[in-house]
Amino acid sequence: MTKTTQLPGKNHKGLCMKALSSPYDKKTNSVTQMMLWVVGATLPGVFALVYFFGIGVIANIMIACTTALATESLILRLRQRPVAPILWDGSAFVTAWLLALALPPLLPWWMTVLGTAFAIVFAKHVYGGLGNNIFNPAMVGYVLLLISFPLEMTTWLPPQELAANPVGVADTISIIFSGQASNAATVDMLKQGVDGYTMATPLDHIKTQLAQGYRLPEAESAPIIEGLSGVGWQWVNLTFLLGGLALILKKVIGWQIPLSVLLGMGIVSLPLFFANSDQYLFPMFHGFAGATMLGAFFIATDPVTASTTPKGRWIFGLGIGAITILIRTFGGYPDAIAFAVLLMNMAVPMIDYYTKTRTYGHANKAKELR
Amino acid sequence: MERSNFASEIPIHEIPGGIHPTEHKTRSNQAAIRTLPLAGELIINLKGQAGNRSIPVVEVGDKVLKGQMIAECDGIFSSYQHAPTSGTVTAIEDRTIAHPSGLSDRCIVIQPDGEDQWRELSPQTNIDSLDREAMLARIFESGIVGLGGASFPSHVKLKRENGIHTLIINAAECEPYITCDDKLLQEHAEEVLKGTEIISKLYADINIVIGIEDNKPAAIDALAAARESLSLSNIKIAVVPTKYPSGGEKQLIQLLTGKEVPHGKLPADLGLVMHNVGTCFAIYEAFYQGKPLIQRLVTLTGDACQKPGNYWVPFGTPVEHLITQTDAQSPKHIIMGGPMMGFELPGPNVGIVKATNCIIMSAEGELGISEPALPCIRCGACMDACPASLLPQQLFWHAQADEFDKTEEYDLFDCIECGACAYVCPSHIPLVQYYRYAKSTIRNNKIEKTKAEKARQRHEARQERLERVKREKAEKHRKAAEARKKAAEAAGKKDEKKAAVQAALARVQAKKKAQQADDKDDSASGEES
Repeated sequence: MTKTTQLPGKNHKGLCMKALSSPYDKKTNSVTQMMLWVVGATLPGVFALVYFFGIGVIANIMIACTTALATESLILRLRQRPVAPILWDGSAFVTAWLLALALPPLLPWWMTVLGTAFAIVFAKHVYGGLGNNIFNPAMVGYVLLLISFPLEMTTWLPPQELAANPVGVADTISIIFSGQASNAATVDMLKQGVDGYTMATPLDHIKTQLAQGYRLPEAESAPIIEGLSGVGWQWVNLTFLLGGLALILKKVIGWQIPLSVLLGMGIVSLPLFFANSDQYLFPMFHGFAGATMLGAFFIATDPVTASTTPKGRWIFGLGIGAITILIRTFGGYPDAIAFAVLLMNMAVPMIDYYTKTRTYGHANKAKELR
Repeated sequence: MERSNFASEIPIHEIPGGIHPTEHKTRSNQAAIRTLPLAGELIINLKGQAGNRSIPVVEVGDKVLKGQMIAECDGIFSSYQHAPTSGTVTAIEDRTIAHPSGLSDRCIVIQPDGEDQWRELSPQTNIDSLDREAMLARIFESGIVGLGGASFPSHVKLKRENGIHTLIINAAECEPYITCDDKLLQEHAEEVLKGTEIISKLYADINIVIGIEDNKPAAIDALAAARESLSLSNIKIAVVPTKYPSGGEKQLIQLLTGKEVPHGKLPADLGLVMHNVGTCFAIYEAFYQGKPLIQRLVTLTGDACQKPGNYWVPFGTPVEHLITQTDAQSPKHIIMGGPMMGFELPGPNVGIVKATNCIIMSAEGELGISEPALPCIRCGACMDACPASLLPQQLFWHAQADEFDKTEEYDLFDCIECGACAYVCPSHIPLVQYYRYAKSTIRNNKIEKTKAEKARQRHEARQERLERVKREKAEKHRKAAEARKKAAEAAGKKDEKKAAVQAALARVQAKKKAQQADDKDDSASGEES
C-alpha cells in the first residue's frame, strides 16, 4: 500500500478541529458572525412586513426557528455530530428565518413546522449537512409548501390599511394555531379588502386579471397597486434592498449575485414591456414586487448553493432573474424566485466547472478544459 | 500604521487578492538593532539551506576561529557553513532542527570560548578588478543564501547571466510582525545599496529596482538618502501599497512589471533576478569586510517578548537563549517565521538557521491557533483573497475528499501557501494544511509510482532473464539431446558396420580355419602318403 502523509487534525467526522500549521494570525471573520449579519439585515424588511401584514410574520418566524433548532439538534444527534458548535454556526436559524419571511402571515402553524423540518432534514442533512447541500434549504421548504398547499400558501392578508377587518394580535395567534379568530372570523373573511374583493398580492392580482382578459392598465387600477408595485409590497422590497446593501457594505455577501439577479430580470422584462406594455409589466414593478429583493439579496446569495466562481456568480444571478420573469409572465405561479433559485442551484456544479479562474502564470483556463 | 508618501519611481501594477492583516510591526521596529550575549552552545544545522546537506570538515575537539569554514558544500546546490564565533567543536551529532515536526538532523555543536576571535579576513574592495567567476566564487565561499526565507543558495541564482535585464531587490517584507528588513534598511541602507551594486556588476547592463511596501517610511527615506550619498541614481525605488503577500517573489514581480512568471518557469526566464535586502547586506560584508555569512538580523517579537526588537543573532543560537535573553514570559507558542507562513517550533532548543527572520513568542490568546473549524460554506472569501487567482474552496473540497487528480486540475501546485485564504475563512478551516497535505501526498504518490515502475521493470527484467536462462538451458538440453541422439544414431550405424566387418572377419577367420584344417589334412595325408 502506498504510504501517504496523514492530514493532522482531520477526524473521521470530516471536521477539522484544529489548525496545526500556518497561518497562525487571529481570524477576523466567522460563520456565526456572517449569519448574525444576515438576520440583522432582514430586520428593516421584517419591520415592514409586520407593519403591513401584522404580527403573524413574527409568529411564523418563531415557529420556524424553534422547529429548525429542534430538528437540527435531533438530526445532529442521530448523525452523531457535535450539536453545540454546529447549532451555533447559525445556519439552521437563518434557513428558518428566511423561510418564515417568505410565508403568508396566517399560515397554519403545522405547515410552517412541516416546511421548516423538511428544509432542515431533506434539503440539508440528507446531503451531509451545512456546506454539502445542493439546493437552498429555505426554498426547498417553501416550494414543498407551495406545491402541497397552494391555497394557503397564496393567501396573503391585505395590507392593514386596506383590510376590511384588521387582525389583532390575539386573533392572529388564534388563527395560526386553530384556524379561527376569537370572533369566529375565518381567514377568508380577514382576506377581504375594503372594497369587498378578496385581496391577493399585487403579482397575484395582476396575473389573475390578465388571465381573465383584462389589459394591464385596467388591472393596475385596483387599490392594491400603488407606487413602485403595490401597497405595502413596495416598502417591503425597499427595506429588504436597504438591508441587502448593508450586507454588501459589510462584505457579508458579494454585490455580483444581487446585481445580476436584478439585471437578469431587467434583461428579460424590458424587451417584453416594450413589445407590449398592455400585457407585460414594467421592469421596475417586477423589481419591487413579491419576493424580488428578499430573493436577490438574501436567498440567491446563500453561499453554499450559489455558484462560487467570479464568472459563475454572474451566470447564476442572471439565470435566476431571467427564469423568475419567465415564470411570472408565462408560468402558472405569480412569483417564482423559489423555482428560479432551485433551478439555478441545479446548474451550479456545471457552471462552476466551466468558469474556472485563470491561475497566476497560466494561459487561459477555458483552453485547458477537457 | 504610518504610510510613506514617497512617490514610487516606477509604475506599480495591480495584483489580485491579498489581505490586510493587523501589522504588529511597531512592537519590534522601534528599538535600534542590538546584539545579545553569546549562547552557551551553538547548534549549527548542516541542512540550514535549500539543497544538499553540508559536509563537516572539522572534528569533535577542534578549535575553530570565528568565520572559519566548518562544513563544505555537497555539490553546487548547497552551501558552506562557517563558525559563528571562536570556540571548540563539542559534538557533530543529530539534534532537533528548525522544522515543524521536530525532526532531528546532523548538526555541528560549538562551545564558544568567549574570545569571539575572527580568522584572518581578506576584504575585497576593488570590485571592478574581479571577473564574474571570482565574484561568484566569493559569494559561494561566503556561504551566502537568500535571507528572505527560502535560503536558496545565492550563487546558483546569480549564475545565469544571459538575458537578465532587471535586478529586483525585495524589501517588501509584507508579513505581519517581521521588521528585520525594515530595520536593516533604516540603519544600514548604504551597505545594502553597496551590496546591490556588487550584484549589479555581475551583469553587463541591468536595471535595478527596490520594491518596498509603503508602511516603511523610515526605511524608504533611509534608502533615498543612501542612494543620494552614494550617487547610485540608476537604482529606482518602487513603493508598493501595503498588502499581504506583496513580498512573495511572484507577486512582487507582478506588482513591479505587470508580468506573471509562467507556470513551470523561473523569474530568470522573464529576464528578472530577485534578491532580498538581507542578502545584499551579506554580499556587501563578504566583499568589503571579507566576512562570511555567520549571523543574521532576527526579529524577536510577540506579546510574551519583553524586549522586542531586531537582534544580530549568530547562526546556531538556540531559540531558548533568545527567549531568556528577552525576558519572555512563558510564551504560549513559539513561531519561527511570520504568523502567516512560519511554523510552530516543537520546542525551544533549536538553533537559528539562515532562513530564520523572526521568532514570535506569543502570549495566551494572541494567535488564532486553536479555533475549531466548521464546514466550508463556499462563500468564496478565500477566492477573493488568493493572490494566485486559484479557487481555494474547490481545492479544499477535492483535497478533503482525497481527489488528488482534481486538485491538480485546479492548479494545486501554483499555490504559494501564503495563507491568505485560511486567514479570511469564516469557517476557520486550516486550508493551507489541506493543500500541504495534498501536495505531499501527490509527491509521495509520484515517488511511489516511480519506485513501483522501477520495481516492475526490475521484476520484468528478472523474469525475462530467468525465462532466457530457462530457454537457453532448454535449448542447450535440446541440442545435447539431439547430439546424443545423433551420436546414438551414429553409434547405431557404426555397430552395423562393425557387425558387418566382424561378420566379414568371422567369415574370413572361418575360412582361414577351414583352410588351415584342409592344410593340416593335406599335410597329414602328405605325411601319410
